[in-house]
Amino acid sequence: MSGTSACPGCPENMAMRMLGMGLGKDIALIVVAGCSSVIQGLAPKNSYNYPVVNIAFAAGPATASGMARAYKARNRNVVPVVWAGDGGTADIGFASLSGAAERNEDIIYVVVDNEAYMNTGGHKSGSTPLGAYTLTTPEGKKQNKKNLPFIMIEHNIPYVATASVGYPHDYIEKLRKAKQISGFRYIHVLTPDPYGWMFDPSRTAEVAKLAVQTCYWPLFEYENGKLKISDESLHCLDKRTRRPLRDFLSVQGRFKRITEEEVKMLENYIDSLWEKLMKLYENQS
Amino acid sequence: MMRILTGNEAIAQAVKLSKVKVSAIYPITPQTGIIEELARLKSEGEIDAEIIRVESEHSAMAATLGAALAGVRVFTATGSQGLFYMHEMVWWTAGTRIPVVMVVGSRALGPPWNLWNEHTDFMNERDSGWLMAYASTPQEAFDLVVQAFRISEDDRVFLPMMVGMDGFILSHSKTNVYLPTQEEVDSFLPPRRQPYIIDPQEAVGMGNIFPPLEYMKLRQSIDSSIKSSVEVIKEVGIEYNKKVSPIINYSTLNTTYRLEDADYAVVLMGAWAGDAMEAIDELRRKGINIGLLRIRYVRPWADDEVISALKDKKAVLVVDRAASLGRAGPLYMEVASTTHLDQMENVITGIGGVSIGKEEFIKMFSEFVEEAKRGKANGVKWFYPQEVEKVELRVPKDLE
Ligand SMILES: Cc1ncc(C[n+]2csc(CCOP(=O)(O)OP(=O)(O)O)c2C)c(N)n1
Ligand code: SF4
Ligand SMILES: [Mg+2]
Repeated sequence: MSGTSACPGCPENMAMRMLGMGLGKDIALIVVAGCSSVIQGLAPKNSYNYPVVNIAFAAGPATASGMARAYKARNRNVVPVVWAGDGGTADIGFASLSGAAERNEDIIYVVVDNEAYMNTGGHKSGSTPLGAYTLTTPEGKKQNKKNLPFIMIEHNIPYVATASVGYPHDYIEKLRKAKQISGFRYIHVLTPDPYGWMFDPSRTAEVAKLAVQTCYWPLFEYENGKLKISDESLHCLDKRTRRPLRDFLSVQGRFKRITEEEVKMLENYIDSLWEKLMKLYENQS
Repeated sequence: MMRILTGNEAIAQAVKLSKVKVSAIYPITPQTGIIEELARLKSEGEIDAEIIRVESEHSAMAATLGAALAGVRVFTATGSQGLFYMHEMVWWTAGTRIPVVMVVGSRALGPPWNLWNEHTDFMNERDSGWLMAYASTPQEAFDLVVQAFRISEDDRVFLPMMVGMDGFILSHSKTNVYLPTQEEVDSFLPPRRQPYIIDPQEAVGMGNIFPPLEYMKLRQSIDSSIKSSVEVIKEVGIEYNKKVSPIINYSTLNTTYRLEDADYAVVLMGAWAGDAMEAIDELRRKGINIGLLRIRYVRPWADDEVISALKDKKAVLVVDRAASLGRAGPLYMEVASTTHLDQMENVITGIGGVSIGKEEFIKMFSEFVEEAKRGKANGVKWFYPQEVEKVELRVPKDLE
């Protein structure tokens, strides 16, 4: 059987298509357990246009580390690229990610964040936002999303960037840039999922844009200790020019039963996110 | 060249002489000496391997596998909690059919914490799809590691291989070890071979979903490769004796001691074979006709060797340093599923480092022979050396 087995409107598939545009040849993909293990289709065929190592859920960064060392030993100029979901990154694969980052392994790590364990049917992960319904948080999640990009910045790695499938040019540019750098590179792509977030599959790109416009998902790059807010997110620096969070929440079924108080908490979360970013931004100039 | 080395040091020398290119390392007693030695050899420029100081054993096997997939010879070592933490990746590695070599320094499992030796950790991996050999001396550990690279990289095998050794008893004891020259090892061990390499030049992938029938066929292919590796192992062993070292005979997978003319047989594996042989000598002097089958390979399991070694015996005693709790010792279950004699007994002992030496074996073997004479050498029992026979354990119920 050939082709992809992604659901209609699949954001991970969109992010994968763009990966090729940004990274070009001479990469090997390491795909950990998640929707992307399935989307590639049945063996022996594969819809990803790369050599792919499918690997256990928690094993991506370590496997890529080994591959990077072997390519070095063989004098091959190949970049191992880990492709993992938010669960594989924030939760089960976190030690492996942190270890590889601390060792500054020469690899690229891309996380496709649909804010839930989607492959198992839509369950809470460390990256699920406060207030969101999932099958394991039917009452709505009570804690905020883990702030992975900041945690990665604290690993002192050469490159950390965030992106959204709603802004392909920005994402592809960041991939291109990452390819030019050596050492550990972390790219966190927000991939709104029609099934987990409960919106119409035709609206994936639109929801991905709303997340950025409402400043829920900041787009930035952190390179060599310097923070750069991406153009799409510059308006968030001033609270008055941010689009209201409601515009993002109201298009999704998973926030249908969110309380006023929880909306306020989410707004506070966004404020504090931007305060931290601004502090980083101001401290460097 | 003869050198006085611990098992751990001998293994690091085997890794060096086998020209390993990547090794992912993580400390756990009793194998830590191996990885410390590899780090030292690297820092002193004696090996050019990439050393990856990973953050867990799960990652140690993942990184080792990653490097192997990308085309180089690899090595790692662990044991006990580390092996169990690694378990998922141990299986994943076998499924890839990529040659990888690992040493397991055996140790009990918690709780409660226990640093001492038993074989449970090693035996727990026998369904994983790895080839599995277990050493009885530091020399044998050295030899088996060098052979493991050759065997696992043989295109009739293409599977990972682990070499076990008793924690402390082998890992930490200094003995004379014969180290061959680089030329001798080179003449025996060709450059790295593997079934495929993950590289954009080769355009192959690994591990995406197989439909059930294809999956089942793949599992069966691993099963048949393990079974047919018996012949490869003998061939490689004979060549090792010729080109590298004749000290230990590797023309068979397992070895025997005074077994041929024996009426009674003992089966066991690992370092305590030395004590068992001394006990056998002693019993022979007393006219008790007993001999030993020492298992060196748990996978493949050499049915033919085991059957022909045991078939005409009056009774067989399998001594396990591991237990499938609630059932029997794993070695016993292997032997009992291979050959069917009227009298087959299992003793579980040496658990958590309980010391069993020549005297304990003499007692155990004599009791077994007495039982066999009465036609009663059957069943599973836990054997304690005399001095701990009276220990009383409280069970959770006692606390109520
Ligand atoms: C060790 C282990 N535990 C659990 C699973 C089951 N599992 C497979 S994918 C998955 C969730 C993946 O979630 P995420 O990483 O967010 O990726 P997504 O499916 O959303 O793309 C889980 C729990 C597994 N494969 N391995
Ligand atoms: S559940 Fe979401 S991420 Fe998974 S295949 Fe479907 S659309 Fe894609
Ligand atoms: Mg997810």
